Amino acid sequence: MAGRGGGRGRRMMTFSVEAVGITRGDSLPPSIQQPTPLFPVMEQKPLPLTAGEEEEYLLALKQEFRGAMKSLPCFIQPTAAHRDVERYSDKYHSSEQTEALTDWTPDWKRLPKELRVKKPPRGGVSAAVSRSDKLQSGQKKKKVKEKEEVLLKLETLQKKEEGQSSEDEEEEGEEKKKKQEEEEAEGEEEYDEEEFEEETDYVMSYFDNGEEFGGDSDDNMDEAIY
Amino acid sequence: MTAQEVRLCGLLLREHFGEVVEKVGTHLLKGGAQNLRTIIHETGISLDLVKKSLCVLVQHGACVFRSGRKGAGSPTEYQTCCDRILRILRYPRYIYTAKTLYGDTGELIIEELLQRGHMTMSGTIKTVADRLTQNMEEGRSMDYSEVSSAFFRLVETHFLQRCPPLAGAEPKDSATPAAPAPPGTPAAPVSTAPPTPESFPDCYKVPHVTLVGRGKRQLASEDGEDQRNAKKAKMDSQTHGDEGICWQVNFERFHLHFRDQAIISAVANKLDQTSSEIVRTMLRMSEVTTSPTATCTKPLSANEIFRSLPTSYNIPRPILDQYLTLLIDDPMEFVGKAGESGGGMYVVNMHRALANLARATLESVVQERFGSRSARIFRLLLRKRHLEQKQVEDFAMIPAKEAKDMLYTLLSQNLVQLQEIPKTPDYAPSRTFYLYTVNQLPTARMLLQNCYKTVANLVERRLFESKESKRLLEKSQRIEAILASLQASGAEPEQLTEVEEMITAPEKQQLEALRLHINKLDSAENQVDETIFLLESYINSTASTSLLNDIDGVRLEGQTHIDLDNASRAGH
Repeated sequence: MAGRGGGRGRRMMTFSVEAVGITRGDSLPPSIQQPTPLFPVMEQKPLPLTAGEEEEYLLALKQEFRGAMKSLPCFIQPTAAHRDVERYSDKYHSSEQTEALTDWTPDWKRLPKELRVKKPPRGGVSAAVSRSDKLQSGQKKKKVKEKEEVLLKLETLQKKEEGQSSEDEEEEGEEKKKKQEEEEAEGEEEYDEEEFEEETDYVMSYFDNGEEFGGDSDDNMDEAIY
Repeated sequence: MTAQEVRLCGLLLREHFGEVVEKVGTHLLKGGAQNLRTIIHETGISLDLVKKSLCVLVQHGACVFRSGRKGAGSPTEYQTCCDRILRILRYPRYIYTAKTLYGDTGELIIEELLQRGHMTMSGTIKTVADRLTQNMEEGRSMDYSEVSSAFFRLVETHFLQRCPPLAGAEPKDSATPAAPAPPGTPAAPVSTAPPTPESFPDCYKVPHVTLVGRGKRQLASEDGEDQRNAKKAKMDSQTHGDEGICWQVNFERFHLHFRDQAIISAVANKLDQTSSEIVRTMLRMSEVTTSPTATCTKPLSANEIFRSLPTSYNIPRPILDQYLTLLIDDPMEFVGKAGESGGGMYVVNMHRALANLARATLESVVQERFGSRSARIFRLLLRKRHLEQKQVEDFAMIPAKEAKDMLYTLLSQNLVQLQEIPKTPDYAPSRTFYLYTVNQLPTARMLLQNCYKTVANLVERRLFESKESKRLLEKSQRIEAILASLQASGAEPEQLTEVEEMITAPEKQQLEALRLHINKLDSAENQVDETIFLLESYINSTASTSLLNDIDGVRLEGQTHIDLDNASRAGH
C-alpha cells in the first residue's frame, strides 16, 4: 500500500517500461476520460463498392426476393393495432388480412401436432347467421337472438373441441382452455363481421378510404421494392 | 450464438417474415431449446401467432423440434440455430449461381424453393412453369417436362436434396405403386443432434411423378389473386405420387461451388487465365471423388489433366508441365505435388488455399484501415510468428517511434496480441520477454463477428432511411399505380403528365437520393457477405481439421459434423 501510494507523483505501469519502448521524457497519449465517440473520424476512407453487371443483378435479385417474401403467407403481420378512434372503415378492412394468413397450409405431417391451428368452424357461424336473417329485424329482438346464437355456437365449438383434441389432452391441459377462449373470441369477432357482411348491400372490397389505394398493385415490376 | 449474430438474425427475420416471427425467433435463439408454453409466456404473443411463427420457422428449416428431454410425454421442444438464418444473406448469390449454371428455369426453381422453405417436386414444377409462362409472349406456355428436366439436373448435381424425414416417422405410402421405396423409417439416430439430410440413402432419389401439362397463364385482372387461389385449390386436388416428399436447397453444395470459384479466381488474379483454367479442370475432375471436408483433392496425374483440358485452350503438353511447376512453386500453395507417377501427381490443397485466402483478407483489412505500413508490420508478424518490439522495428524498416505507434494501435484493436515469456517464475516485468504475435484463427473469428455487426448496421440504416421517407415512398407508389392504370385504360398524354406532376421536383430529387442510398446499402450487404463466406469457410475447415488431428489422424468421410461430435464426446 505504501509503495503504491508513493507512485502517485510518478508514472507507474504494470509492465516493464523499457522493454515496450517508452523512454523517459516521451509523451504518452492523453488518458481517455469518456467513451469513444460514436462516429470516430476515419483516417483512411474505405474503398468504393465494386459495381458491375453481376453486382447489379444480385442487387435486383435481393430486392425482388424481399418484396416477394412480403406478399407470401409466411410473412406474419401482428394483429393490427387499434386506432384511437374507431372508424367506420375498420370493419371492412380487417378481414382482408386474415384471409391471407389462413390460406397457407403447411404439410402437417412434418410439424408437431400441437402446432396445428384449428380454423374456427364456418358451418356453425353461417347457420347462426341464416337463422337470424329469417327472424324479424327488430333491434332488441336481434340482440337477444344474437346472444342465443353466440351461446349455441359456443356449445358447438366446445363439443368440437372435445371431440378433436382428445388426443392432445395429455399435453395441453391448460393450453386447451386458452385456445378455447381464443377461438371463442375469434368466433365472436368473425361472427360479428359475417353478420355485418350479410347486412350491407355493398361489396366489401369495393369500399376503401383511399389509404391503401394502389398499394397492392404489383403490376409495375420496374419499380424497385423496398 | 454471439450477440451480433442474434441481432443480425433478428433483423433478417423481421425483413423476410415479419415482426412476430422476429420476436419468436430471437427469443428461441437467446434461450435455447424451449417448449411452446414457455415461448408464449415469455414473449407475451398470442397462442395462434406463436404457432404460426413456429410453423414458418420449421418450414424454412430455421427451427428443429424434438420431444422433450424429460422423457416421454414431456412437451416438444423447439430449437433454433442462427447458421440457417444467416444464410438468408446469401440467397441472391445462390439464385444467381443457379441462373449461370442452369438458365432461367434453374433460377426460378431455386428461387421458389428458397421462398417457400421446402416444397414437393410437383408443386415446384407447376409454380415455376406458371411463372415462366407469365413472362413469355401471348399464346406460348412452358411445358412441365422442360421444368422437370431442369429439376432432375439440379438433383443430379446435388444442388437440391430431399428434406430429411422426421426421426421416428412412419413410412409414408406413395400413391402410385411404381414409385420407388419411400424414405422409410431410418435407423434410429444415435446422437442427439438432428440427422443431416445426407445420412438418409434416398437423399437424392427423384420420385416417379406423373406430371403432364403446361404452365397456365393467369388472367391479368384485379381478382387475379383470388382466381389464382381458386385455381391452385383445384390443381392441388390432383395427386402426383410424391406427397410427403419435400425438397430443399442444399446449401453445402452451393458453398463448395463458391469455394471452388474463389480458388479459381484467386489463381487467375495471382497468375494468369491459363493457370486458372488448369485449376478449374482439376477441380472439375475431382468434384465427385472428393468429400466436402477433405483437405485436398484426390491426386490427379498430369496425363489425366492433359486429356481433360478444354480443347479451346490448345495447351501443348510441355507448356502444361511448366504451368504446373509454376503453380507448385507459388507461395499461395494452391496446387501441390503428391508423387511422380503418371507424369507427376498433383492435388489442389483446399484447406491451405482457404487459409491463404483468409490471410489475404485479414491483411487487406489491416491495410485499408490502418495504412500500408501497418499492413507491413501485420504481414511480418504473420510470417515470423513472435517478434520483440526491437525486432519488429528492424525487420519492417520503419522508424522506431512510428512502429511503436502502429503496433499499439493494432494491439488496441486486438489484431495483434502480446505474449509474455518470463525468465523468472515471478513474472517480474524487467525480466520478462514481451513478444508480439498474430494468431490467424482467433483474428479471423473476430473479423467475422465484425462483419456480422457491419451487415446488421447496414440493414438497420436501410430500415431507418426507408422509415424516414415512408410518406414519400407511399406517395410515389400510389402515383405509379395511378399512372399504370391510366395507361392500361388508354389515357391521353396530358392526363399522364398531369399525374406525373403531382410529384414535385425536389421530391423527385429526394426519391432519387433515397433510391441511391438504399441500393448502395443493399449492394454493400451483398459484398460483405462474400467476405463472411470466405471467413466462415476458413474457420469451419480449420475447426474440422484440428478435431481430426485430435482423433489420431483418422479421416472421417461424409457427414463429419455429427460423427465428429460423437467422436469428441467419446474421446474426451
